[in-house]
Amino acid sequence: MKAKRERRRYAKPGGETYLFRLFVAGNESNSSQARGNLARLCEEHIKGRYKIDAVDVLKDAAGAHKNNVLVTPTLILIKPLPKVTVLGNLNDTKQVLAALRLNGDER
Amino acid sequence: MSTGIAGLDLVLGGGLPAGRVTLLSGGPGSGKTIMGLQYLLHGAGAGQPGILVMFEERAAAVRQNAWSWGWDMARLEKKNKLCLMDARLDPEAVISGEFSIKGLLAILDQRIKAVRAKLILIDAVDALLHLYDSPMRERHELYALHEWLLDRGLTTIMTVKTVPQEQAPSRYAFLDFMADCVIHVDQRVTAQITTRRLRVIKYRGSGYGRNEYPFIINENGINIIPITSNVLQHRPPGSKVSSGQAWLDEVLAGGYKCGTSILLAGTAGAGKTTLACIFTQAACLRGERVLYINFEESAESMVSNMLSPGLALQPLIKTGTLVVRSYLPEAMGVEEHLFHALKHLDEFQPRHVVVDAISACKRMGSDQAAFDYLMRILNACKERGITCIYINQSSGLDIVEEISGIGISSIIDTIILLRHLPIDGAIVRQLIVMKSRGSKHSEQFHEFRITDRGMDLVKT
Repeated sequence: MKAKRERRRYAKPGGETYLFRLFVAGNESNSSQARGNLARLCEEHIKGRYKIDAVDVLKDAAGAHKNNVLVTPTLILIKPLPKVTVLGNLNDTKQVLAALRLNGDER
Repeated sequence: MSTGIAGLDLVLGGGLPAGRVTLLSGGPGSGKTIMGLQYLLHGAGAGQPGILVMFEERAAAVRQNAWSWGWDMARLEKKNKLCLMDARLDPEAVISGEFSIKGLLAILDQRIKAVRAKLILIDAVDALLHLYDSPMRERHELYALHEWLLDRGLTTIMTVKTVPQEQAPSRYAFLDFMADCVIHVDQRVTAQITTRRLRVIKYRGSGYGRNEYPFIINENGINIIPITSNVLQHRPPGSKVSSGQAWLDEVLAGGYKCGTSILLAGTAGAGKTTLACIFTQAACLRGERVLYINFEESAESMVSNMLSPGLALQPLIKTGTLVVRSYLPEAMGVEEHLFHALKHLDEFQPRHVVVDAISACKRMGSDQAAFDYLMRILNACKERGITCIYINQSSGLDIVEEISGIGISSIIDTIILLRHLPIDGAIVRQLIVMKSRGSKHSEQFHEFRITDRGMDLVKT
């Protein structure tokens, strides 16, 4: 039973839609870079199958608190599970792809 | 800004610098967080709401710890006087590239407005700094945080962990330069007894105590033994009171002088405790309160042993004129012993204090610890006009030499020596007054017997 569920969880995302939440602080440089980096990665690897929900912590502190976001930029991969959190401006493409399990999914 | 700890305010020359950052450094278990909590709780009670940011502990765990001290944080949170913020970072988060703590500051800004915070405690700031991979960025973020705190006029305590035996690792040395006030706490073990010390390393624009100050953590939180004054402000000795034995009063030309120090020295079984208890009973029956600090036996065993020379101490304990406190010397450090003794002096306000026996005080750690303890008690008694009776057990034959091995005989006003000698197949007990400041006294050995009515003089 358990093994089955695990397999489903970690199954190749295939046609699944990726849902990201990106927490930024206005237009400070790291936040802008993260925005650009994420958009580029998504376009290159999961074009048409992603959604980015951007939250500006300067305007929505409650949202940051709810998600326990203390540093900006913070990227949370909400779907598919398991949840992944990446801190920083996402400049290291290889590392980000690995963290988001997007490596090896280039078709 | 008061720290909520009276003794610490005194050391700091008033309190923490208002609207500024104070750095509190110390090893694990040195008392940093408790000190910070006391500060916040005191502030919340005094109309200064505060925020607690925790980088390492769970808010729930902190609430629970505080509860064990009887501090109800949840109640203050409900009343909007305190805000706990769990700022533990996800340990599984992947770090990729640069980031800043803008998110944290945005949340804090919102919280500050919500509770109208004036105080903030940032606990374990080192845990935040660990996120950064370069010392330069650590420094940069911390300066940014410092500026942010100053802009908002928050009176801040920031705690940082240091490695034991080290004041501040070089990695965080810049923190010391940044903060306006730096306090270091530590705990160390000497002769198997733990002592805690606090030192103010810097305080811009304030005259502060520069020594190391001992402190203890007990059920009330942090207690720093107030440093009264370095000047001897002893009250002049008062009138004479009876020792409880008419013949001994005669030997002492009237009895003991109130508010002075008396040393009863002698070998084991010479009758020192009996002599002290005879006085204790007489004083209590006159309505004078006596505090008996016993390092040798429990109150129960003392009471029952003293039945043999005809002393009834139990009724005196019952009426509250006699308080007996028994401690194991090695159970606590010298500060904690001092704290208990001084607390009793102030709360119970005795006329006379007996310490039985000062020879046991060495077991508080060292000869120096015993000396510190006895000096402080003696000074505290003299400042308050309390008679202080020390009992010392000497073991060797040359009693005079070791009347007080701890080296306090020079500051004692009256010394009475007791001994028992085998003469003609029997034990002969003798007593002599070796010193009695400002008073005439007999210079003879006096033979006495311990009977079921106390000590009787044997006329020779």
